[in-house]
Amino acid sequence: MINSEKLGHILQNFVAGLSEIQGAAIVTPDGLSLSSALPPGMDEERVAAMSAAMLSLGERIGSELSRGSIERVLIEGEQGYSILMDCGQDALLLVLAHKSAKQGILQLEIKRIVAELKLIFN
Amino acid sequence: MEVLRLVVTGPVGAGKSTFVRSISEIQVVDTDRQATDETAQLKQKTTVALDFGRLKFNKDMVLHIYGTPGQTRFDFMWDLLIHKADAYILLVPADRPAELRNARVISNFMQQRTKAPMIVGFTHMDCPGAWGAKDMAIALGYGRVDIKRPPIIRVDPTNKSSVAQATIKLVEQFSQNLMLKR
Ligand SMILES: Nc1nc2c(ncn2[C@@H]2O[C@H](COP(=O)(O)OP(=O)(O)OP(=O)(O)O)[C@@H](O)[C@H]2O)c(=O)[nH]1
Ligand SMILES: [Mg+2]
Repeated sequence: MINSEKLGHILQNFVAGLSEIQGAAIVTPDGLSLSSALPPGMDEERVAAMSAAMLSLGERIGSELSRGSIERVLIEGEQGYSILMDCGQDALLLVLAHKSAKQGILQLEIKRIVAELKLIFN
Repeated sequence: MEVLRLVVTGPVGAGKSTFVRSISEIQVVDTDRQATDETAQLKQKTTVALDFGRLKFNKDMVLHIYGTPGQTRFDFMWDLLIHKADAYILLVPADRPAELRNARVISNFMQQRTKAPMIVGFTHMDCPGAWGAKDMAIALGYGRVDIKRPPIIRVDPTNKSSVAQATIKLVEQFSQNLMLKR
């Protein structure tokens, strides 16, 4: 059984670590939220379902177009980024970041938390 | 070549993905993932984005067939897929009456967003405890036979010829609707 308190703790730390990170969620591959730290007003259930749908499409496109297995799906918007990361069989991570985020630092932070999550899920 | 977009919708486990797999002549695009919600008691996997299949219907027409997810949390996919639909089929499992309510929710959701013609397909009619077609129709609010009632058929998504018949019916419904509009 996954320790949701621990997940919550990891997420809180991650979001607090970089001011450009506006929210994050850990979601099952079928779109249920396991833990989340989202900006106010965002519906957790909806965010979780959308994350799963998006990553599944990204993965499908990756294999169909011979891009190999997909590590992340990035959606760049006017206001900022939505990033989806595969964390193994049982979970994926959604990160919401402000447009001002430096990609290098952001990627580094994300790599760190994904490594941590993979330890929990595998 | 005309492309007709058909959408297959309905509650969890109705047989939407199976339907698309039965009719498609290309390997379908599916986005089924391990189910961890109540669906897991029913089957291992559930659709999280869409199914896609294709069929050359005749020399002038290609069908693009999209399956939707079943759970309400994926209603953004319902919305996305229905807006481009030329016609759609609502699959309703007859052996799980609890899904009738969800079927009505989906049907209302679609009707608020599209004028595309629809038909209703009862699935799992061969399963133990399945309701009869008449009771199903009444429970869905189609008890009265009047002009507003969509065509209702039985379909077994696991059976290719049954799915072919349902698809023909759906294309007919589309064509009739087109004639009426002219
Ligand atoms: N006996 C019988 N089995 C059926 C019938 N229709 C579908 N099934 C089975 O029921 C299951 C339906 O699964 P799916 O096709 O994944 O259902 P779905 O509607 O795509 O479900 P979600 O994507 O989870 O919403 C499959 O195992 C089918 O083989 C039917 O009419 N009779
Ligand atoms: Mg499905």
